[in-house]
Formats: sequence, C-alpha cells, structure tokens
Amino acid sequence: MSSLVPSFDWQQVFLQPWSDAPAFSCWIVLMGFLATAACGLVGNYLLLRRMALVGDAISHSILPGLIAAFLLFRTSNTWTMFFGAFAAGLVTVALISFIQRHSRIKPDAAICIAFTTLFALGVVMLSQLEGRGSFHLDAECVLYGEIAIIPLEIPVTLGGFTLGPPSVIRMGIVLLGIVAAIAFFYKELLITSFDPGLARSMGMRTGLWHYGLMSVLALVIVSSFEAVGAILAVAMLIVPPMFAAQLSDRLPARLGLTVLHAALSAIIGYHLSVWLSCSAAGAMVVAGAALFALVWGGTLLRQRLQRGTATPPSPDNFPEPSR
Amino acid sequence: MTDTPSPPPLEVHDLTVAYHQKPVLYGVDVAVPPGSLVGIIGPNGAGKSTFIKAVMGLLPLSSGWVKLFGEPLSRGGHRVGYVPQRESVDWDFPVSVMDVVLMGRYGRLRLGQRPTRADREIARDCLDKVRMLPFANRQIGNLSGGQQQRVFLARALAQESDLYLMDEPFVGVDAATEAAIIALLRELKERGRTLLVVHHDLTSARDYFDHLMLLNMRLVAFGPTAEVFTPRLLQTTYGGRLSILTDVAQTLGSQP
Amino acid sequence: MNALSLHRPHRLLPLLLLVLCCVFPSLAEAARISELTDTGMLTRAVRFFTFQDPSLRYALAGSMLLGVCCGLMGAFLVVRKLALMGDALSHAVLPGVALGYLWNLTKDPLAIFIGATLAGLLGAATVQLIRSTTRHREDAALGFVLASFFGVGICLFTMIQNLPGGNKSGLDQMMFGQAAALGRGDVILLACVTFLAVIAVLLFYKEYLLTSFDPGFARSIRLPVPFFHYSLMLLLAFAIVASLQAVGVVLVSAMLVIPASAAYLLTDRFARMLLLSALFGLCTGAIGAFFSFVGRSLPTGPFMVLAAAVVFALALFFGPRYGILPRWWRQRSRSARIQRENTLKAIYHVLEKDDFRREAVTFKELAAHRRETLEEARQQIARVADVELVTVQGDVIAFTPDGWQRACEIVRNHRLWELYLTHAARIAPDHVHEDAEMIEHVLGEDTVRKLERRLNYARRDPHGKLIPGLEDIRQGPLGPAIPPGGPTVPPTA
Repeated sequence: MSSLVPSFDWQQVFLQPWSDAPAFSCWIVLMGFLATAACGLVGNYLLLRRMALVGDAISHSILPGLIAAFLLFRTSNTWTMFFGAFAAGLVTVALISFIQRHSRIKPDAAICIAFTTLFALGVVMLSQLEGRGSFHLDAECVLYGEIAIIPLEIPVTLGGFTLGPPSVIRMGIVLLGIVAAIAFFYKELLITSFDPGLARSMGMRTGLWHYGLMSVLALVIVSSFEAVGAILAVAMLIVPPMFAAQLSDRLPARLGLTVLHAALSAIIGYHLSVWLSCSAAGAMVVAGAALFALVWGGTLLRQRLQRGTATPPSPDNFPEPSR
Repeated sequence: MTDTPSPPPLEVHDLTVAYHQKPVLYGVDVAVPPGSLVGIIGPNGAGKSTFIKAVMGLLPLSSGWVKLFGEPLSRGGHRVGYVPQRESVDWDFPVSVMDVVLMGRYGRLRLGQRPTRADREIARDCLDKVRMLPFANRQIGNLSGGQQQRVFLARALAQESDLYLMDEPFVGVDAATEAAIIALLRELKERGRTLLVVHHDLTSARDYFDHLMLLNMRLVAFGPTAEVFTPRLLQTTYGGRLSILTDVAQTLGSQP
Repeated sequence: MNALSLHRPHRLLPLLLLVLCCVFPSLAEAARISELTDTGMLTRAVRFFTFQDPSLRYALAGSMLLGVCCGLMGAFLVVRKLALMGDALSHAVLPGVALGYLWNLTKDPLAIFIGATLAGLLGAATVQLIRSTTRHREDAALGFVLASFFGVGICLFTMIQNLPGGNKSGLDQMMFGQAAALGRGDVILLACVTFLAVIAVLLFYKEYLLTSFDPGFARSIRLPVPFFHYSLMLLLAFAIVASLQAVGVVLVSAMLVIPASAAYLLTDRFARMLLLSALFGLCTGAIGAFFSFVGRSLPTGPFMVLAAAVVFALALFFGPRYGILPRWWRQRSRSARIQRENTLKAIYHVLEKDDFRREAVTFKELAAHRRETLEEARQQIARVADVELVTVQGDVIAFTPDGWQRACEIVRNHRLWELYLTHAARIAPDHVHEDAEMIEHVLGEDTVRKLERRLNYARRDPHGKLIPGLEDIRQGPLGPAIPPGGPTVPPTA
C-alpha cells in the first residue's frame, strides 16, 4: 500500500513541474481549465433545464460517431472525427425524443436505452476495426482521455508565431465562442430556461433554442473528449455548476464561479496527479468534486450554526415549502 | 379608444381543445368587449386554464380560431400579457425579482439586444406598483406565495399589454395581497385594458368582476355579472358534469 | 394492490429454478479457461452449441444468470423512474473495484465484490444526501455521483498501473466486460446474487410493488419504506457488481434498463413484466455470450446490449398493444372504416332527399352529393362493396341489409350528438356539425342508449331532420324488408 501513495514532497509536487517542464505543465493545466470552463458554462443551463444526464448520454455516444466517420471517409483527420462525433450527439438527442414520443417509456429510461445502445455499437465496431489493425483508438482514451499527450502535439503556427498545441487552440476558440454566445443570447437563454410558456407567448421558438443548446453541448463534449474522455466530460458538465449553485443564487455570479471552479480544479488536479502519478484528467475531476464537497460541507455547517443560534434565518415568512 | 368600432381584444370562435388524454373544451364562442374585467368561473377540470393556454397558443386547437385585436395570435401576441399559474416555474431558479420583471420587456427587444435603461425604469415602476420594490434584489425563491404572485403581476404589467390573461392569481395569496391585486386590476381596467382572470372562488367573483364567463367543458354563459350571476346559470355550471360528454371525451382521448 | 395479482409472481419460481438447475450441472466438472484453438466460425458455432468448452460453460452460465438478475432489478428501476440510478451506480463502483484489487493485489472476486458493493452503496447514499440537503435535483445528484466516483476510480486505476508486481490483467476487462474470463468463483457469485434477488422478489413482492407505486400510501400503512428502498439498492449494487466482469462498467446499466423497458412495452401487469424482463435478460445474455465466443475474444457486454436493443426495438415497433406499427395499422384501418361509413352516410342522404321513395342511387347522384368526380365516387363505392355493405349493379348502388343498418346507425349517431350538444351542452346549432362528424364514428351502443334516454327519444335533430330509431334500422328503407335479389327499381330521373 505504501508504494501506492508516494510520500508528499512539497517541492516535488508544486515547484518541480513548473521549473523542470514549464511548457508541459502549462499546456495541461490550460487544457484542463479550458475544457472544464467550456463544459461547465454549458452545464449551468443543462442543470437549470434538468437535463444534466443528456450530457452523459451525448458524451457516451461520441464513440460510435468517431468510428462511423472513420469508416465512411477512411481518414482520421480531425475535422472528419469532429463531424462524426457531433452528428452522433445529435442522433442521440433525436433517438431519445423518438423513443419518448412513440412509446410510454419515461425520459430517464429513454436516455439510458439510447446511449448504451450507441455505445455498445461503438465498442463492437472498434473491436472489429482493431482486429484488422486499421484503426487505433485506445479504449482507455475513450473513457478517460489522454490529456498528457496534448503538449506533444505538433504546435500550430500562425505567421511564424508558435501558438500552441492544436487541441488547446481549438478548445480556446470553443470557450470563446460559448462565452460570446452566452453574452449575446443571455436573455433568450434565460427566458427559455425559466419560463418556456412566456417565451413561446412572446414568439420565441423554444424548440429551436433547445436544439441549439444541444448542438453546443455536443460541440463542447466533442472538443474536450480528446483530453478528458467520455465519462469525465460528464463530470466537467455537472460538477462546476453544482459548485456554483451552492455559492450563489444569481445566474451571472454562477457563470463566473463556474469559471473560477474550472481554474481551481485544473491547477489542484494537476498537482494532485503529479503527486500520485495518476491520470491528470481524473485528478482534475477528483479535485473538482472535492471542491464541491468542501462548499457543500460549508453550507451544511453554516445551516447547523444558524439553527443553533436563537434567531431564525433571515429569509422572511415562508408560508409554504418550496418544491 | 373604446368608442371606435375597433375589433374586440379577444374573439374566440368555435374553440375546441383536446388535451392528450381528454378533450376539455367544446365549441367556445366568445367576444370580450374592450375595457372589461372578466372572471372565468367554473368547477375543477372545467377547462379554465386550458382556455387561457389555448388563447395564448400554448396548446394546439382541435378546431376554431382565436383572434386578438382582430388579428391571429402570431401578429396580435405582443399586445397580450400572460400571468401563468405560480407552480409553472422553478422558484429555485437563480434570478432576482428584478430579473423576472425585466423578462416582461423581452418580447419588445430584438434578438441579442440588452434591456435598456428605459426598460429598467419601467420594471422598477411596475415593482413599485405591486409594492415589491424593496425586494428587487432578492432571489425569487426567498419570497412568500403572495409576494411571488405579485412579482408575476409586475412582470405582466411590464409587458404593457392591452389584454391580460391571468391564471389563478389568487391561489395561495393572503387577504391583503388579494385586495391589492384586485385594486390593481381595477386600475388597469379604468385605463382601458381588458383583463381575463381565472378565478375559483364563487363568492368573491361577484364583487371582483364586471363580466363573468361560466365554463364547464363548454361555455355556459358570458355576459355582465349582473345578468350572468343567476342561480339557474350557476346551477348549470356547477351542477354536475355532463356525464355523456365526459364519457365520449374519454373514448376519444384513449384512441392514439 | 389487489389480492389477485399478489400470488402471481409465484409462477416465476418454477421457471427460475429450472434455469438454475440447467446451469449448475454444466458447471460441475468444468475447468478454468482452456486454450482456444484457431478454427473457423462454423466450427466454433458448433462447439458453442455442443458445450464442449468448459470456459464456454462458465461464460454462458454467467451471462444467463446476470441477464436474469439484472432483468429483475431493472424492472424495479424502470417502474420507479430510477433508470439512471443503475447508470450512476455502475460507474460509482469503480473505485471499490480498485480498492478490492488493492486488498491483496490479485483479482480476488470476493474482495472486489465487497469493495465494489460498498462503493455502490456509498454512491446511493451520496445521491440521497445531495437531494435532501441541497437544492440540486435528482439528475444533477446522479450525474455528480457517476462522474466524480468514476474520476476517483480512474485515478486509482492509473495509480495501480504504476505499481510493481501483481496481476492486473483482469482489471481492464472491467470496462467493457469479457464473459470468457469468468471463473468458477465469478459464476458462483452471480448464482448467489441471482438466487438472493429471486428470493427477495418472491418474498416481498407485494411490499416492493406497493413501495414502488405509492410510497406515501405504503408509509401510511406502516411499511418501512426506507428499508425496502435501501434493500433494493443493495440488491441493485449486488447485481451490478456481480455483472461487471461480464458486461463491464459502462454497459451494466443497459442490461438493467433495456430488457425491463422492452417488457414494460409489452405488458400492463407488473408480475408479468418481471417475468418477461428476466426472460429477455436471459436470452440476451445467451446471445451475447454466443457472439462473443464465435467472434473470438470480442467483448461480451456490447453484444449483449445490442441483442437487448434489438429486443427492445422489436417491442417498440411490433408490440401488439403499444407497438408503433400495430398502432399505425389500427389508425389506418380506423380511417378506412370512417371513410366507408361516410360513403354509406352519403348514400343515406341521397335517399333521404327523395324521402326514401326508392332504394338505390346512381354514381352520378352520389358524386354530385359529395361534390366529387365520378371516378372518386366509384373508388369509394368499390371499397364499401368489398366489405359487402352495398351491392353494385351496372350504374346503380343499393344497400345490403348490413349496409343499411350501419348507415342508419351513423346518421342516428350524428344527429343524436348534434341534438345533445345543442340541448344539453348549449352549443350553437351551427357549431355542432363538425364535432358530430368525428363523434358519429366512435359512439358505442351504450352511449347511444344513454343519449336517447337523456334526450327523451327525440325524433328530430336540431336541423329538423328525422333521427332514425331502432325500428327504422331493423326494417329496410321501404318497409319490412329489402327484396333479397338486390335493387330492381331504376332511379327515376
């Protein structure tokens, strides 16, 4: 057991990664931050619409998308893969709503049926391809990503100026796009999430906004997939908004806290992975979950303390339980 | 405005609405005169909320049509303010009271346009009218039932509509708020607005509204309160369901 | 609920015991995985069906057992709307698997089982805790547990990979499952879990049913609802953990949810749903094992899931009651019937215009009445003549006795309904026609009797037309009977 958890050396864990291989550390932390922030921002809206697990479904169904794209176009070029995974995400959403519309299966079961079937299809195709040795997609990479190889990618150069690994650049662009979209469509996203009835009576197409959000969701999952894998992407969708919701009940503040959480969990997670020499993406998720647990424990403690003191909590007369 | 022979704020012809399970409204014909405060009265499950939702285009119509100010919903919709039932939204949603009232202005803004300073002023005024200005920065879950209802009302006011449709605004509301709401509704009516309010309390209905609409799966009567509030018509409205109508409705509903 | 359905599940018992009996003898002398020689597909298929391979016997028995046990548990998940709980728990057991492995650095089924069960229960408790102490909804709580526990598991796994020594070969298979790697211990574990699940369901069927359907009522009659919830969660964790080796972490939830959902589409009785779900699980388990064996070292889990998905798709499309195609077919035949009835009604109207002075109409009259072309009228009549409701002789159409009766009924339904709407429901006379056009085809005889009584056996509809009564329907249009040879009177022009 002692060899499992190495002894904690302050210098080795916190200073060495930055002094020995600054670029390597920098790109991993940056990628972790960008992916978590982009997923978390979208995740906020998912949580508000009670659709957290649709993210789970889409992230799983990306696998058959990647392979189908490869089989169709016979290249593993980034954009083809991207397109295949994106299409698979939309197929999942459509499949879920098909099952729901045409049978009495409840939404949760429909989600489960749709994504597990697609994922199984993906694994079968993968093992067939691997048997013929024509395609290499590590099963482990599918599940928890390979953030450690990102600094080794051939960096993108623009006008003689080296920018960085293409995955990081792509993720950065996606994050910027999401921030811009939230800023521009803030009120539409807000009202279609809060009160779809009012939105419809004002002439907004709620169905269109729903599919728009689903497309963006597919986009963030696909672009962070490479770094963090299918299942850890779910954590990045759900955990940061939950952390933010614990701390604030205003949407703009929550969005800000989501980004903060992304930064903290990327840095803490990276150092955790250095210390324990484990998967960096997994450690970032663990760090993020630990941050949530910390805040959660804090609120529980505060409630306990407030209940202990004689004065009732400040929120006023509360005649009925909120549902 | 009321003198000109303008089209009525709300005209409904042969409106039939079938919910997924059962048809709830049969052939309703109504033309609401401008500047009236209409109470929609009927027993539980009589289709009162359904009527409001159908007029707002939130439910598909099986037959008939709805005209708002002489135009179909797609063009007349911006002149209508809607106050849904309080349970229809998630009160844990991370928005403040002010944000919710501002939503009333969204219908007038372009895609991606921010609410302007003028919009904020209007929202502030509306909040003041329902005496909720001190709560402007509170999260909406931290309000009592009556206060939540007043926020919804302020949002409808911010829409600055000519026709208001309100679904059970008095449910779970204390007596003081109820009086305040009804005073506000009367003030709106004085200013020539038309209001349709779903109401479930028969005893207060007579005092609150100048027109009544008696519904029980079909329109029993519509007219000035004095004419419609008669024992015979109320008996028809509340005295038992038309059992055959309900039977057939269920037969139809059970077919895919 | 009702006393009748309570003793039904006991029909499960013989079937399940039968399965267990079939499975165990085959294990008796089976040895650990043998070397598989490289042979063709067909030979391998033959070997599958002759059960020569001992490892195959383990794999097959294990897959079938897990199908039964997941099917039973899944049925509860589906009716409790907890489908994603299975998904969350199956991911949440991962750290437990890693810790169970670390216990003595070998793949000891029992240590892994205990570790994983503990992790699963911890996950279920965390979901409950998040729901009760925060404002987060169930989906968020499930997602949190799923992803963060999985993250911890991934960290542990990558740490284990750095460890010197130890036999870690089996751990990778936890992800996608490899039934061929099932050992004797695994299968015995699965058998125990399945046995436990079957016994629990048989003993506490009515309690589980009631706590799933209406927990509030169950509490009011002093049933320990939390006990039944957590015992179900424990059984679920058992089922998931025992199945990991064969199906893998990611796809266990599919074996829980898909067979149960297929069963849910096929029956309206919970006992039957349990039985069907277990049966589907069994079959898909066997099919998965077969393909995995024939295709050589292919992962088993995905094949089982695909087999289950095929079963589900069949149920979705062809299920007799709720299937898409049967419903579409019923819809189609109903609209065909409505069309036929409308044609009959049109003939009736034409005859009525002449006060029934004759008993046959021409195509031309019919086409004119319905404002359609002669060709369309011919097509419509051909459809009605196919079912022998009218007879056609040259240019003349006449009712058969059945056709006359049906036409009268339709017209009667239409007019009664119009009268009812105007009289009882006070709907304006000019609004009722459209509604009656739809209702006339669905009114049953019972309702018609009620309508007639309610309307005092009125003879005239709101437009003043005669409502055909029972007597008119029994008689022909011209008195007591239609001449047997069909229409003979040509229409007077």
